Amino acid sequence: MPRYTVTVDEREYDITLEYFSGRLEAVINGEKRRVLVHKLQDTRSLLLIDNRVLEVDVRTNGAGTVSGERIVFMRGREIPVTVEDYSLAQMRKTAGISSHVKTEKSFVAPMPGLVVDVRVEPGQQVNSGDPLVVIEAMKMENVFKAKSAATVKAVLVTSGQSVEKGDTLVEFE
Amino acid sequence: MIMSKQAKKIKKILIANRGEIAVRVIRACDDLGLTSVAVFSECDRTAYHVRLAHEAVYIGPSPSNESYLVQDNIIRAAKETGADAIHPGYGFLAENAEFAQRCADEGIIFIGPKPETIRTLGDKLQAREMAMKAGLPVVPGTDSPTDDITVAKKFASKIGYPVLIKAAAGGGGKGMRVVKSEEAFEESLATAAREAKSAFGDGRVFIEKYLVKPRHIEIQILCDEHGNCIYLGERECSIQRRHQKVIEESPSPVVTPELRQRMGEAAIGIARASGYVGAGTVEFLVDKDLSFYFLEVNTRLQVEHPVTEMITGIDLVKEQVAVAEGRHLRFTQDDIKLNGHAFECRIYAEDPEAGFMPSTGQLKNYRIPAGPGVRVDSGVVIFSEIPIYYDPMIAKLVVWGSDREEALARTRRALEEYRLSGVKSTISFHRTVLQNERFVKGDISTHFLEEEYPENNYGNYDDELMESAAIAAAVEKFLTERKISVSNSGSSHGRSGWVNYHRATGLRKFGGSR
Repeated sequence: MPRYTVTVDEREYDITLEYFSGRLEAVINGEKRRVLVHKLQDTRSLLLIDNRVLEVDVRTNGAGTVSGERIVFMRGREIPVTVEDYSLAQMRKTAGISSHVKTEKSFVAPMPGLVVDVRVEPGQQVNSGDPLVVIEAMKMENVFKAKSAATVKAVLVTSGQSVEKGDTLVEFE
Repeated sequence: MIMSKQAKKIKKILIANRGEIAVRVIRACDDLGLTSVAVFSECDRTAYHVRLAHEAVYIGPSPSNESYLVQDNIIRAAKETGADAIHPGYGFLAENAEFAQRCADEGIIFIGPKPETIRTLGDKLQAREMAMKAGLPVVPGTDSPTDDITVAKKFASKIGYPVLIKAAAGGGGKGMRVVKSEEAFEESLATAAREAKSAFGDGRVFIEKYLVKPRHIEIQILCDEHGNCIYLGERECSIQRRHQKVIEESPSPVVTPELRQRMGEAAIGIARASGYVGAGTVEFLVDKDLSFYFLEVNTRLQVEHPVTEMITGIDLVKEQVAVAEGRHLRFTQDDIKLNGHAFECRIYAEDPEAGFMPSTGQLKNYRIPAGPGVRVDSGVVIFSEIPIYYDPMIAKLVVWGSDREEALARTRRALEEYRLSGVKSTISFHRTVLQNERFVKGDISTHFLEEEYPENNYGNYDDELMESAAIAAAVEKFLTERKISVSNSGSSHGRSGWVNYHRATGLRKFGGSR
């Protein structure tokens, strides 16, 4: 029986799926749920969880398939979810690795646009929330801030430069 | 309709815009039996507005300053297709006096006010002077724009903080900053000036007194060229982020018939003073004591015009065309009766929890709500790409109810029904706000969002939602992996386990009588 460790917004769920002759049952943190799945199209499906109707679109993006990251679109929300095999998750935990260790090694442009201001320089100490770079896109200035404390190793852009989504703009130590 | 001597029947309209507003105008053309001409940039080749129009003309590369803003290209497209009128929508060339003049010179009807009116009212200083002369109350502020930091700072100290820095040539929240104290003044001024310079090519700013917790309430006006001018009630647009409106409603929860009449008459006052022709909006700030101050006149169709259409039953675009043809207004002030209540939720491709950062990409799923009272003005369809070049608003959800409560309930229902994936959107944001107690009571101001959601915490995942998302993801992983293993091992009846699985569950669900 497949058993998964699922993480949603830092909350962990232990889910076991039981599948027999077309029935699917989920045991989530010890509680049973009856699940019916109807595929709609591509990644979209209609779920009935204990008769509650949910139209969901579960998408992976690139590397997501490997790391178990999914994005669940439901009820107008986009919810990032990590799904791991239970045994692998146990091993990972024993090794003391968090599933969302995102030690910020760099700041990557989250969207294409024009860099209008760079607020940091190499060697600078930044704290969580400190502005790094200002990017203009769709006619708005967006200030991007450090997600955690770090030391700036290199700044790879200058003001006035156009950047693509995914370009590394700032590297941290 | 009474035709005046100069009346000229419009037969073909070129829409110098894109997205939902181009779609909106094309629909009005269809309703009027007119031919519509769309224009499109490189990345908009297959955009929804192009698909709906009768004719379409390519006008240049994707950046708007190489396509939608190039007057020559728009005029050329109008000539090429024989369009006798141009509807500018909002944004782009809508409030460009030079363009309106250019149309006139080329013998094309510009669907909007006269160039002089656009020029005067588009200049915040002249508009303010005109408003004062017409007897409208105004907020204390600088009489002329400046880029001198010392002068600006001195004035700010004189009127007292908080102050508002406003681009002289601004609009849509660009080049606008609130400064709470003297220490933050210089940096704010620099940012505002830079934004204004890049967006409008003019870095000069105004400094004005910042009203604490005002409401933004505006009056829709409609004027013909024969001196008739009416107001069509108000729109409350207090729910704003970064000075951009996100939720609008009409009528306002605080405007009484008496206040409506006073604001309406003030709006007519400045309309007459400026020789206004066409549809327009006079914006006011309304203080806690319900005293109102003139803000500015938008010499175009507003984004939020549908809420007015919903409660007045008047198609504003159709009336714009009639006025542009030189006809007399079909309505007098007494004909205007407000019926029920309407909300508009602007659906943006943005991430509300990341400070409304634009989100680009392809709509993998898109299904709009329907049902009683629901109107969706959408500029996209399923699989549309959201380009980086333009405003990220993709649709407007407009909902009518017989009273505010019913309209609110229907709006919530419609938001539940909306399906959108592939890009982030403001749908969940709207859902959260529409459940907010203060919003439900109508206790709002332009500061509502920053007060209620200081951390942009619009998510509020409840337990059930999180649990459901967890199950959905686990099931997806299970089914995906199972599908692979089954097809690899090969199935004797040539069907994958996936099909069998769905067949079995499908029978379980649909087997019984319904």
